Amino acid sequence: MATTELPLPALPEAHHEERGGIVDYLTTVDHKKIGILYIVTSFAIFLAGGVLALLVRWELATPGLQVMGENTYNQVFTMHGTLMIFLFAAQVSTGLANYLVPLQIGAADVAFPRANAMSYWLYLFGSLIVLSSFFVSGGPAAVAWTAYAPLSTNQFFQGTGMDLWIIGLAVVGVAGILGAVNLVTTIFRMRMPGMTMFRLPLFTWGVLVNQLLILFAFPPLTVVFALLFLERNFGAHFFDPTTGGSPILYQHIFWFFGHPEVYIIILPIFGIISEVVPVFSRKPLFGYRAMVFAFFGIAALSFGVWAHHMFATGLVYLPYFSIMSLLIAVPTGIKVFNWIGTMWRGSITLSTAMLMALGFILVFLIGGITGIFLASPPIDFAVNDTYYVVAHFHYIMVGGLLYGMFAGFYFWFPKFTGRRLSETLGRWHFITFFLGFNITFFFQFLVGLDGMPRRIADYQIERWTSANVISTVGAFLTGVSVLIFLWNFFRSIRRGEPAGDDPWEGNSLEWVTSSPPPSHNFHHLPEIHSERPAFDYRHRDDPAFAGAHTDPERNLDRG
Amino acid sequence: MQPSRRAPARWLAVTAVALAAAGCTPQSVTEQGQAIYNLYNLFMYIAAVVFAVVSGLVIWSVVRYRRRGDELPTQTHGNNRLELTWTVIPTVIVLFLFVATLRAQDKVLDTPGDAQVNVTVTAFQWSYRFTYEGTGAEVLGGPDNIPTMVVPVGQRVRVKLVSADVVHTFYVPQTLFKRQAIPGTVNEFDLTFDKEGIYHGQCTQFCGLQHAQMVYRVEVVSQGRYQSWLAETTRRGSAGQPGT
Repeated sequence: MATTELPLPALPEAHHEERGGIVDYLTTVDHKKIGILYIVTSFAIFLAGGVLALLVRWELATPGLQVMGENTYNQVFTMHGTLMIFLFAAQVSTGLANYLVPLQIGAADVAFPRANAMSYWLYLFGSLIVLSSFFVSGGPAAVAWTAYAPLSTNQFFQGTGMDLWIIGLAVVGVAGILGAVNLVTTIFRMRMPGMTMFRLPLFTWGVLVNQLLILFAFPPLTVVFALLFLERNFGAHFFDPTTGGSPILYQHIFWFFGHPEVYIIILPIFGIISEVVPVFSRKPLFGYRAMVFAFFGIAALSFGVWAHHMFATGLVYLPYFSIMSLLIAVPTGIKVFNWIGTMWRGSITLSTAMLMALGFILVFLIGGITGIFLASPPIDFAVNDTYYVVAHFHYIMVGGLLYGMFAGFYFWFPKFTGRRLSETLGRWHFITFFLGFNITFFFQFLVGLDGMPRRIADYQIERWTSANVISTVGAFLTGVSVLIFLWNFFRSIRRGEPAGDDPWEGNSLEWVTSSPPPSHNFHHLPEIHSERPAFDYRHRDDPAFAGAHTDPERNLDRG
Repeated sequence: MQPSRRAPARWLAVTAVALAAAGCTPQSVTEQGQAIYNLYNLFMYIAAVVFAVVSGLVIWSVVRYRRRGDELPTQTHGNNRLELTWTVIPTVIVLFLFVATLRAQDKVLDTPGDAQVNVTVTAFQWSYRFTYEGTGAEVLGGPDNIPTMVVPVGQRVRVKLVSADVVHTFYVPQTLFKRQAIPGTVNEFDLTFDKEGIYHGQCTQFCGLQHAQMVYRVEVVSQGRYQSWLAETTRRGSAGQPGT
């Protein structure tokens, strides 16, 4: 079957190829370059946050204060959480989304390229404001990344560091909202002809739902920061019970943002896994529509579960928040089973990207199952605010986010650069990361069950030592794995094996264009017949797979 | 061949049992905590089965369906019956866990009638004050002074938990229970200790500079010893240690 080449959409402006200097990156409105800026910036923040994590582990390895004092320790773990959650986790996927979404939907750029650039620069300067708190007198905030009032009010925590923390994160929040408006509009309005919603790649679906969540979850965060800032600097009393304020109010608004934030972080990762697993199984995604509905199921439930972070307050209605939290297991389970269904009777290649995806499924499974425990209030009474919770959310955040992100890096690096990352180094990266990660966090479950509280600089209970030593060793092994990745990155970007346009036999539209893509993304676009346009294009002369035969919209070959 | 193949399997089984045992919470020393302990174990059994099945399926597919040639596998897009199955089964499991949760919760949070011992616990940066209502006895902690809350075994102790400054928690790991102390709020719960002993307690909600030092002890003593301790402490009107 012949493919008709569609005319290109009109270009937004004249493009000059072959630029790429620093001035170009400072002035660019190209979604791909902005995507790279996001990824590089957030990864730099990840490295800083990682160093802080190693400091935490170093201090906790044995009882006593060896490495730093209590105040420094409190600052270090606060900034570790702040950098990782606010400035890295939610941003790295925005970077990938910036780069990939227009390519995956066959658009020349995002809907609002200049606003896109503004989002990035707001994010960068917001982050710099937060980081600048390291250099003011008194140092950065030491109130934990959740900054519960009244501890974070000026009555109990003075210093400019805390105010810079609030201002910087509020700016990053505004950047997120602006970016979300942009990406949502892009996905709804900029799809090429034939790219119906139910032909969107799952990564784009993940980004769409993630950005919709940002639109609803970030404004409350901005609000709570505004209230806190007013309380600290202008004598407001929102959270002061002695004048009619309510400390619990802070927790409610914060977690109304805070729990959807988890899904903001993880949904694009689900999307990445749903791209990687089919390609390396050489099969279409199993249950495409169920996967999309599961995204919306998770998103809807995520706004009804915030108070499971507050079971121990004694001030929330337990059964409602418990059942809503438990129910999230259902759409999440659908996802895991559909990935298995995709691999079943497939033809699986264990590339580094696929290994990372498999690692994701296994550790996310542990993170998810322990999440079920925490959704039950009585069990939460026992383990809330202990290392059990620390282990649980690191299985979700590090396990989920980092494995998924690395899967995405190994998968799309050839598209970004035209070169492959080394598979040998990739395997070493995977093995050290898998071991290091599990050694670090598995033992935290055990010491958490034994009652070790989180966020303590020191402990006197000797029997907690062994788990902490093991955990620290694992953390440094994880650090080594990241160094292997960096080595692989810097080596491959210069001397990596040339990849060609479609090294993995990809499914989505970005594999049809050159690597790296031209500034306007496509020289020509194939017709879209299914959710796998690149697959269809590759098999255009094969009668068995031509055109609409594989279209899930027509439900032809469902069992 | 047979024995050498079985030996690793036996080691695997031993390791699995050891890990499962390690995955348990400590036994609870209160009546209320016992319900949590049982609930946790129920969750653990189901979780172990779910983990084994799902990770087994993942590993099996990777081993069994490795790429062996260039031929494309059958391009299946889904299967409604299968997908419905793996939607319904998890739903049934979580509904079952929810019902079990509700039953345990009622036992944990039950505060019937009047308790025999009433203690107001005031958390502050960075220690606790235990005030025994209606007796005038009080235990006050401070820097380098770890306070001990003395309670009788087998009697219902009602804790009224308040905070003098920021959010703290009251947490004794071996009761498997914690509750936040929130300024402006009184949180009430009951603990009935069924085993004498000295138990470690600690604040788990980050509360500022010396959060890590905010520890206390709960000493569960016989009712006779509790009465004499109470009389002694009331007489002194301040922190006291149980007589020996």
